Amino acid sequence: MKNKTVRCHDVLNHICEELDTKLTSAKCRELKRHLEKCPNCTAYLDSLRKTITLYSTTPKPRLPGKVRKELFAVLKLKA
Amino acid sequence: MTTHVSDEELIKRAKKGEERAFTELVKRYESLVYSFAFKVCRDEEKASETWQDTFINVFRKLHQFDGRSKFTTWLYSIVTNSCKMKRRRRKLDQASVSIELPPESHDGSDHDHSVQTIPSWKETPLDSVMDKELRTVLDEAIQRLPYEYRVVFVLRDVEGMSAEETGKILKLSVPAVKSRLRRARVFLREQLNPYMTA
Repeated sequence: MKNKTVRCHDVLNHICEELDTKLTSAKCRELKRHLEKCPNCTAYLDSLRKTITLYSTTPKPRLPGKVRKELFAVLKLKA
Repeated sequence: MTTHVSDEELIKRAKKGEERAFTELVKRYESLVYSFAFKVCRDEEKASETWQDTFINVFRKLHQFDGRSKFTTWLYSIVTNSCKMKRRRRKLDQASVSIELPPESHDGSDHDHSVQTIPSWKETPLDSVMDKELRTVLDEAIQRLPYEYRVVFVLRDVEGMSAEETGKILKLSVPAVKSRLRRARVFLREQLNPYMTA
């Protein structure tokens, strides 16, 4: 990605794909430079990360006990 | 049976017909399967049915598991296949909306900082119990996300599978996984934006 052609939507698309790589690859240097001076892209990146955090930290549902009992009954297994 | 027995050993014994080994496998993975099924189905009843279908299939098809992939990868494949079959039967996701997005833009426009400013989001309540309103917003947003995007998002961002593992589970190429993940993230972000900036 050439410096002159780095635009916000290029950055944001790439960020979104590489969100989990911590932007450490060589091709991300330009993106990092852009992020340092672009509050909009930084805010967007932060909001994407928060979106993922919200979904990954929602409480885990518990398996209803009767569902397990029914399975073991169907398979004729002892619990 | 203690929890120190490896998966490989349990699978080997279960394949030989040892009931206790199979029930131990169920207990070991019941939460993982139920949690994943719930996150994909977004409904307790469907998640319970999917959970039962998954372990019935594991019971019947365990001899087909050759150990070349991780057991969890195989389990996720069975869950997603079960969900897919259920969706075909019920023709679900009628409430889902299209998330056709321009391929090179996060919001359909090349935003110009002079006319559009992206507001910062509120701090996420990581250390506190999420309030009911936020949970409703999260639930509604992910329910609007079509299944084929939702399942990629859950596998990659919630379950922590790699793009390669996700592709293997869903029989998708890695670029397809990345594309769906990008669209899912952007869609969910847009859905949450009004709440998180209010």
